[in-house]
Amino acid sequence: MSRALVMHPKDNVATVLEDVSSEQSVKIEGGVETITLSATESIPFGHKIALRKIRSNAKVLKYGEVIGTATQEIPAGCHVHVHNIKSTRG
Amino acid sequence: MARKKATPTFWGYRRLEGPPGGRNHLAIVSGMDNSNPIVRRIGSLVRDATPVNTSFGRALMGEDETQHWRVMGHTAAHPNVGAAIIVSLEPKSANAIAEVAARTSPWMPIEAVNIQEIGGTLSTTSHVVELATKLSAHLASAKRVRCELGELTIGAECGGSDTTSGVISNPVTGMVADRVVEAGGSVIFSETLEIVGAEHLLARRAADRKTARKIIDSAKSAVDYAESIGVDFIGSNPAPDNIRGGLSSIEEKSLGAIKKAGSHPIVEVVGVGERPSKKGTIFADAPCAGVENISSLAASGAQAIVFSTGIGNPIGHPISPTIKVTGNPRTARSMAENIDVDISGVMEGTMRIDEARDLLEKELIAVMSGKLTTSELLGETELTVSRAALSL
Repeated sequence: MSRALVMHPKDNVATVLEDVSSEQSVKIEGGVETITLSATESIPFGHKIALRKIRSNAKVLKYGEVIGTATQEIPAGCHVHVHNIKSTRG
Repeated sequence: MARKKATPTFWGYRRLEGPPGGRNHLAIVSGMDNSNPIVRRIGSLVRDATPVNTSFGRALMGEDETQHWRVMGHTAAHPNVGAAIIVSLEPKSANAIAEVAARTSPWMPIEAVNIQEIGGTLSTTSHVVELATKLSAHLASAKRVRCELGELTIGAECGGSDTTSGVISNPVTGMVADRVVEAGGSVIFSETLEIVGAEHLLARRAADRKTARKIIDSAKSAVDYAESIGVDFIGSNPAPDNIRGGLSSIEEKSLGAIKKAGSHPIVEVVGVGERPSKKGTIFADAPCAGVENISSLAASGAQAIVFSTGIGNPIGHPISPTIKVTGNPRTARSMAENIDVDISGVMEGTMRIDEARDLLEKELIAVMSGKLTTSELLGETELTVSRAALSL
């Protein structure tokens, strides 16, 4: 099973610690409790996985802070990156 | 109920006033680049003398000159120094640096020597060797005593950053920084360009409005300067290799960098090499490059520096022991002799993040009690002073 680290209890994304392939189970560590999630697509090492559904225009949280806004709805287990979130800085 | 762990203590050198040292260096401090060869020579001639070289120093004007004297003077007066000899080409700079040092650490034996007055390389070398030998004998009798964690100011630096820095080594450095601050001590972090994108979030952590304003202003002047030389810093970040590594926004990149400073309110903003007037979490408005940054952190009084690295960097400060910590398993193997604390087990699932924090804290205590860092053992130490006008 691959692993991912969540940085803050408020976060809705976690960073995967190895390359994850589609349908693979990911153990999410570092949060209040360790949970397991199924990746819906492949996610490269160091990239982010959505921990729960993130609605379009909702804030994406890492380190307990806003790192960007979702530009589309992102289902749980999806790859979260520049194709579906954007910076809040102009 | 969880029992609270006792706050650790270290074995340091108690000074007549001010914070204790983790080293008792006899520092031979160069006033300008042209004095470096003599300073290096003294280092090889006198047992226990620590040569502290510099960059620039000659023909500086205005703020550049003040900054140079401040950084070199504060380095000479560092808590890890027991006595200092300033060696410079001419009297003005030698005396100016010695004055800054004497004002900062009035208890410290400080000598100022200038090459023009003594007369040439050989006479100056002989004169400084004589002074250094006497001071060395004086320092040799110093004993270590028990000191509190809260008497520490640590510097937090990140260099050679990669994905593991933002998720492992920076957060773990921040956890240790928090413990030092909770014990009554301080952490100083800087690298102004690296807060850009998250400066609005950092400003919210400021203890008062003036400090918040200074954080925003530091970031703005860095971005404005970049723009004046034709660089769109915000637009060009995250860079393509950052994006390949998984960073999606400039906020995310900067948040990962500032994680090394922990989570407590920011009580003060200082300039390059300035000594803070408050205890707690301090931001220093200083450039990012490793040697420049650790030189500023040490001059600001950091008794030790935690240097978080991803892809690795061998360098350390000559006076402030620099502890390399990495979360990258490949770096921990390929650059093992340059790594002090290997927490790559967090990556590989064999170490918990709180175990990594305890390991780093234990190393900090050991180093402050006399254990040599990899950069001290290998002689991989360097100092450089930022130029006020030309550096970012």
